[in-house]
Amino acid sequence: MPAIRHASKRKAPPAGFSDIEDDLLIFSNKMKDAENAPTTSVPRHQVHWPIFQISHQRSRYVYELYYEKEAISKELYEWLLKNGYADKMLIAKWKKTGYEKLCCLRCVQTKETNFNSTCICRVPKAQMKEDQAVECVSCGCRGCASSD
Amino acid sequence: MLKSTHKTTALPEGWTEHKAPTGHLYYYNSSTKQSTYTRPVAAPLPAAPTPPPPNNPSQSFLQYQSVDSQPSAGTAFNNFLPAGQSHGRGGFQSNRGRGGHDRSRDSRPQPTDKPISRHAIPDNESWFLIHTKLGRRFVYNAAKDQSFWRIPDKLKDGILALDQQRTREKAEALAAPKEPEAPQGAAERPVIEPTQAQPRDAEAEDSSEYEEVEVTDDEEDDENPSKRQRTEDDAPDEPVEFNEDDIAYQLAAMGQEYGLDPGEYGDENMDGWEEGDAGLEMTEEDSAALFKDLLNDFGINPYSPWEKLVEEGKLVDDLRYTALTSMKARKEVWEEWSKEKIKTLRELRAKAEKKDPRIPYLTFLQKYATPKLYWPEFKRKYKKESEMRDSTMSDKDREKFYREHINRLKLPQSTLKSDLSTLLKAQPLSQLNNTTLPSHLPSAVLADIRYVSLDSGIRDELVEGYISTLPPPLDTNDEEETEEKAKERQDRQRRQKALEDRERHVAEEKRRQKRNLEFGKGRLREEEAEIARAMNVSKKGLKDHLMEDET
Repeated sequence: MPAIRHASKRKAPPAGFSDIEDDLLIFSNKMKDAENAPTTSVPRHQVHWPIFQISHQRSRYVYELYYEKEAISKELYEWLLKNGYADKMLIAKWKKTGYEKLCCLRCVQTKETNFNSTCICRVPKAQMKEDQAVECVSCGCRGCASSD
Repeated sequence: MLKSTHKTTALPEGWTEHKAPTGHLYYYNSSTKQSTYTRPVAAPLPAAPTPPPPNNPSQSFLQYQSVDSQPSAGTAFNNFLPAGQSHGRGGFQSNRGRGGHDRSRDSRPQPTDKPISRHAIPDNESWFLIHTKLGRRFVYNAAKDQSFWRIPDKLKDGILALDQQRTREKAEALAAPKEPEAPQGAAERPVIEPTQAQPRDAEAEDSSEYEEVEVTDDEEDDENPSKRQRTEDDAPDEPVEFNEDDIAYQLAAMGQEYGLDPGEYGDENMDGWEEGDAGLEMTEEDSAALFKDLLNDFGINPYSPWEKLVEEGKLVDDLRYTALTSMKARKEVWEEWSKEKIKTLRELRAKAEKKDPRIPYLTFLQKYATPKLYWPEFKRKYKKESEMRDSTMSDKDREKFYREHINRLKLPQSTLKSDLSTLLKAQPLSQLNNTTLPSHLPSAVLADIRYVSLDSGIRDELVEGYISTLPPPLDTNDEEETEEKAKERQDRQRRQKALEDRERHVAEEKRRQKRNLEFGKGRLREEEAEIARAMNVSKKGLKDHLMEDET
């Protein structure tokens, strides 16, 4: 069993963490609420949607801070990834063309679907029929194609 | 009213007052077993207390529900509000001074117009320019007692001059909005005052709505009601503006009367209004800058996500929020702003000398450390303090400083003093000079153990004495910076003004639309009346009409 480390003995987060600490705390509180919310009245496939959405939002927040606003240092960014504040694999997808707005990794996983295709939310709005509102099954995404 | 006077008289003997389940009061005579809604009065013969005959039960009942028995039909209702009546008209009633447009006027075919202000036209004696309540204007020749809607060519120069003067006045008033209103009022009042009496008497409430001061474009002199603008300063007793809700209410009410669909009347095409016709120009940059000002003013954290900002909804109430029209544009501007802000923050931080974590810790030590406590005891006792929990300083350092400090406390005063003076002497002149405030000593001094080990009273005296002996600093001036700031402030004011102008323009546009609507409505009514008259053909048929024409 690994030794339990006390908070005061732990290494301090890199400089700049105090700037974003509050917002990250808000995200983690939201996540806790979503985790503890009762699921009795929710359809079975929708139970995990809020979790996916908050995780996406938080990852996006960290991603934008580092890549777009350049507000945090590389050390801090890596520290955040290491400590689970953002999804490293999802951010890796966002850097690729065509995946800039990807909602979750499950939606590009073709092997788990019936027709070996990506999720409906990956289809651009322009190619959809009129008035066809979709919410994808895995994360409740309403469309995350780059052209939308 | 009746009720209250009744209350004052005492009930005659045998009568008791009760409350019905419906809330009405009624009276019961236990001896005669009679009950009545009307309050019995003591009969002149107390021996035989006959209850007053309920001559008209329904009438007596009505007196207790006077609120509901008021004629609540449209026209009468608006003008006739009984004094004590607090009928549920919502917030609309409070705006009535301006917004409560009495409908009796609507029933007329056209709203009556009245002159509200008169200006002598320079260089043309006996000619006057008259402004009317509905924002039109005409010229009046006092000598010949003639008036013309169309302005004669010979007067155009004079009116142009007049307008220019008024615009100038207006611009001045706008340029100094912060100044007390007295001088401005003094400048404009005398012009308006003499004619104000006319509209006042008729509709004392509504008159203030029309005390307007207009700004006109210098170029065109043809009638154009859109040029009239209202200043809020002129209605100090009526701070309630005629706002959108009121207009919406009016439109809805009128639309209902005519059985129109909501789409048919209230099409206020916001985009149709050209911006800043009368006022300053509002460019894209300006609106973006306005939104940025808003973000700055609310102290928004540039690191926070956009969703948080939207959820909190603090900004929505501000006028500047409307400078940008779409959420997408707002988000873009916010992104730009946060990027800039973060950049400046980083620069500032890089420039500012690093706040030494030792300084607060040392002052903390000076306050609480005593030779009576060992380090572990001290640490346990104060573990909740922020200085003891600061993550930027390691526990080892804290312990080291504590031990050192305790050791120094045991030293004689003279050594401590000499140590402090050597420390002060070691500071360069740029850091420590005779302009340095004792409360803002350089961090190199504050973060030294020698500074805190002396008792603060003695220490401060020593430091002040030393500072007063020092030469002045090498002077550097920051005039450029202040100039830059002044320019920034000016820019900001200009943008604010542009936004206000635009708002006023929009309000003006709305008012004009409303007025047009009223005209149209009046005409419609007239036509309806005509049709009704035409339809009213009696048995005699067309002959009836012909007879009427002849008579």
